[in-house]
Amino acid sequence: MDIFLQQTVNALALGGTYALLALGLAVVFSIMGLINFAHGELMTIAGYVLMYCGIAGVSFVVAVPLALMASVIAAVLMERIAFRPVRNGSGATMLVTSFAVAMILQVLFQNLISTRSQPVLLPAMLSDSVHIAGMVIGVNKLAAIIATVVMLVFLDWFMKHQKTGIAMRAAAEDFAVARLMGIRANTVIAGAFALSGLLAGVAAVLWVSQRASVDPLMGFMPVLKAFIAAILGGLGSLRGAVAGGFLLGFIEIYLSAFLPPEMQEFREPIGLGIVVLVLLFRPNGLIPSATLKAEKV
Amino acid sequence: MKKLLTLTAIGALLAAPSFADTLRIGAATAQTGGLAPYDAPVMEGIHIAIDEINAAGGIGGTTKIELIEKDVRSDAAQTSIAVQELVDTGVSALILPCDADPSLAAIGIVSSAEIPAISTCASSPTLPMIGGDYMFANFPGDNVQATVSAAWAQEQGHDTAYIIYSPDSQYTTMPLYFAEVFEKMGGTVLGQDTHSIGQQDFSAIATRIAALPEQPDVIMTSSYEPDFPSMLKALRSAGVTSQMIGSDGIDSPTTFSLGEAGEGVVFTTAGYAEEGSPLEAFNAKYKETTGKDSETVFNAVGYDLIKVIEAAVLAADGSTDPKALRDAIANLENVQGATSAITYKGTDGMPVRQVSLIRVKDAGREFLGSPSPDAALIPAPRMQ
Repeated sequence: MDIFLQQTVNALALGGTYALLALGLAVVFSIMGLINFAHGELMTIAGYVLMYCGIAGVSFVVAVPLALMASVIAAVLMERIAFRPVRNGSGATMLVTSFAVAMILQVLFQNLISTRSQPVLLPAMLSDSVHIAGMVIGVNKLAAIIATVVMLVFLDWFMKHQKTGIAMRAAAEDFAVARLMGIRANTVIAGAFALSGLLAGVAAVLWVSQRASVDPLMGFMPVLKAFIAAILGGLGSLRGAVAGGFLLGFIEIYLSAFLPPEMQEFREPIGLGIVVLVLLFRPNGLIPSATLKAEKV
Repeated sequence: MKKLLTLTAIGALLAAPSFADTLRIGAATAQTGGLAPYDAPVMEGIHIAIDEINAAGGIGGTTKIELIEKDVRSDAAQTSIAVQELVDTGVSALILPCDADPSLAAIGIVSSAEIPAISTCASSPTLPMIGGDYMFANFPGDNVQATVSAAWAQEQGHDTAYIIYSPDSQYTTMPLYFAEVFEKMGGTVLGQDTHSIGQQDFSAIATRIAALPEQPDVIMTSSYEPDFPSMLKALRSAGVTSQMIGSDGIDSPTTFSLGEAGEGVVFTTAGYAEEGSPLEAFNAKYKETTGKDSETVFNAVGYDLIKVIEAAVLAADGSTDPKALRDAIANLENVQGATSAITYKGTDGMPVRQVSLIRVKDAGREFLGSPSPDAALIPAPRMQ
């Protein structure tokens, strides 16, 4: 039972990080129908800021807000430079654009910073663990769970009570009508990117605090997981993204924890098999977006 | 008079040993993508060696080295395309990426063109086995590294081990060699876990190990960044205090900047810069050339590779004929590189080189020695 509880805490921490990542993708998708595969590179940028802060001797408490800021700014710039010109293009055009942005950034990181991964100095405290009710919980796990809760509460408040947030929800429901009501498209889309940048930044801090290094290609794996989580939850639905993130975290941890040793090698295919199974029963995801116009024939 | 001069010149040319003017080497390595962290530093070392040799007038004072580089983007198909292009330009030797898989993708072209190819730093002992006569490695084999670390663990009185490996690549299955040697030497392997390369979260594995009825004395893995730091931190924060043993993949600055969690980690690698050693001299030269400290032994490994080719050209009496070079490489003995003496004679292309044991201490390197492994203990290469 103890082990089960302990693994559940592990699953919560991992699921929370996935939820933040999936939310970052969902915020943008819900408004402009773009799956931003360069989302991971926003994390890499935040990671490099943490690295340079460590080298410059800047305290971690200052480095984290700087990293978040960098990823927000990068997200807004990304929208302005790469995505605005193709905003009215087809979904495929935007998807390919996002791949191009990701690749260009990766090559820039490799050529301008380093091909090798660079160490990030982290406070020793993050490697510690605390004992709660007979369980050993790593500080970074605890931080992941707390950060997820804080971000979800913040997002809920932002979407319900902030003008930009309400405008974003309106735009997600029907952009054309929202514009007729006087909502500026540029503000809403830039706002969505800024929000996804913030989510990427928070996820990056959690991600980097586990791996202690940044490399030019580090963004790929998290964005892949986020993509799976967002599909699982229901593309374009924010609540769905959170649910999908947590479910994916639970699937991964429980399989890794309780699958018999001889089956462990097939952990990932089994995990993805479960995802497919869920989608068979709920083809639009766990909590589908109300406005997703998926056609069925 | 003019005629006489010409005749004398021709005579002099005929009398001189048949050193060619240039040796053309083709490098198809990964300057971008997942293998770039290894191939890029190797190429730096290669450039340093080539510049040094050319500045001294070339190999044997006459044969300058011309390097043609192509980026294969860590992609197997691109590697075979790049190798074909290089073969078409008439290179005498090829340099292939730091992994067995893309290197083997080019093997058909290499074998039919009969040009010797050396992988920058692939360490899977199966590479030259599958690759055939023209394929050479440039790094201590996985099975040799595992033998050295298993013997060290036994020496320290560690009787029980746990291994964590990834079936995703040949290299990350090194712990299976470790387990084989460890058990052969009388130790007990308590269990094993697998992960996938790039896996972010090791908490489930850490929790399972922490809950074992008997804690293992050592945990061996050949996972590298970013997996290794995540794994180590997860194990330590779950309360697992076993001795961690790793391999050359973690010979990287990150390993030394992990703070408390990293202290005491032991790993095998291709060399250690002892005072007065060739590696120390190389590192000084690296700093002088590039203006920064060498972050990794892979710089020196690149230097070694060119020293091997230089030695082969000398052994072939200055010939740049690919076949003659292949035979010369296969018979090289004790070529002094930056990291160690390198011998190909008597091997199938997997060189005999020194393996160094390093322990992380006070965020720096503590040299534990370069023991020669007992040949009887080295496991046979395992085909996956």
